[in-house]
Amino acid sequence: MDEARLTAWLRDATGDASLVVEGASLLSGGAIQQNWALDVSGGRAWVLRTDNAATLAVSHGRAQEYALLRAAFAAGVTVPEPLFLCEEASVLGAPFFVMRRVAGTAAGHRVVRSETLGGGREACVRALGHELSRIHTIRPPRADLGFLGTAPDDPCAAFIAEQRTALDRQRLPRPVLEWGLRHLERTAPPPILPVLVHNDFRTGNIMLDETGVTAVLDWEFSCWSDPHADLGWLCAKCWRFGNDAQEAGGIGSRAALYEGYGAVDDARVRWWEVAAHIRWASIAVDQAERHISGVEHNLELALTGHMVPGLEWEILRMVETRDAAA
Amino acid sequence: MPLHEEPAAADLLATARDMLLKDLLPALPPDKAFAARMVANAMAIAARAAAQDGGWEAAALARMPGAPASFAASIREGRFDPGTPHHGEAAALLDEITRARCAVSAPRALG
Repeated sequence: MDEARLTAWLRDATGDASLVVEGASLLSGGAIQQNWALDVSGGRAWVLRTDNAATLAVSHGRAQEYALLRAAFAAGVTVPEPLFLCEEASVLGAPFFVMRRVAGTAAGHRVVRSETLGGGREACVRALGHELSRIHTIRPPRADLGFLGTAPDDPCAAFIAEQRTALDRQRLPRPVLEWGLRHLERTAPPPILPVLVHNDFRTGNIMLDETGVTAVLDWEFSCWSDPHADLGWLCAKCWRFGNDAQEAGGIGSRAALYEGYGAVDDARVRWWEVAAHIRWASIAVDQAERHISGVEHNLELALTGHMVPGLEWEILRMVETRDAAA
Repeated sequence: MPLHEEPAAADLLATARDMLLKDLLPALPPDKAFAARMVANAMAIAARAAAQDGGWEAAALARMPGAPASFAASIREGRFDPGTPHHGEAAALLDEITRARCAVSAPRALG
């Protein structure tokens, strides 16, 4: 990155004419973004977040993510404080924002094996429930979140319609995902008032230290929807990182999560757990297609495609069990 | 009697993967371990694909009511819902296909 340009921009944004970037190093980031750790004069520890060249169309850009972080921070959600946004591509080649750097561990496999991270399993999932309840206080309409579009009258129906549209765009038909979506349609709960849903609130995207939650990360898929969608995504078996007995993200019990959240309609959460497997399978198909089509030749993307059959198997089992109980 | 030379693809992949995990991975710097594990994973999937009898695909397609796209569309329309005459057959077919797909891609998912 062009540190001279960045320094000039930061001096302007902060009003600190003597600001110096003392260090900049690339952190391990997601497939979509680049995260840089910035050490700035005066002991300021920041993170600069910008886009990789190739990005998924469904994720929000940096300006939108910045607006989401500001809304979440104001609602009392534990997020890194957003500091500055640069919408000009001329400074670094793509828009970016700067937020305070937060310490902790997010890596899913490490988190689910730890008895102490997040203050211990039960305390951690109780805290996660509380974080979600704070996020869900953000309700439409919000002028600052206008890019999220109009909130759906019926979030469950909207989810099914979006997923079908996504399947219609795919190169190959997906009968098992159709099977799951049809089940969701047959068993959909009634309309509910939509709230801000993080939409990727899961183990791996939540930073923890030994005392608790230090940051809820990765806001780029947020939307107006059923609040139970977030609880279902977190509890879905496919996001327990192999630690299936701990139903809340492989970390702790479902009961403690619900307790930390407040009022939960368990049947709605279970519906969204089926939905979570379908959505993740559909994302995995998209990722594999990036590799197959040659847009981005990459082994990780290729292997993600091979997660689809396992997700489909789980969908078939969930549908079978739920239909037998109906 | 096979006309191709042995050992065949599945054996080669399994043997190479074993060497990768036992000999090479421990000698790699820690920041390359994830990449090496991905390579091992890809080799395991390819080895299982090479070893699988692909006959299940033709059998599944023969039993499928229509081409996969029309089967998928019929499911969406509710024509195989519980209580419809062919619900059980459709469910069994999807299970069979998915089981065979998992046997290559994700055998652990089958439990």
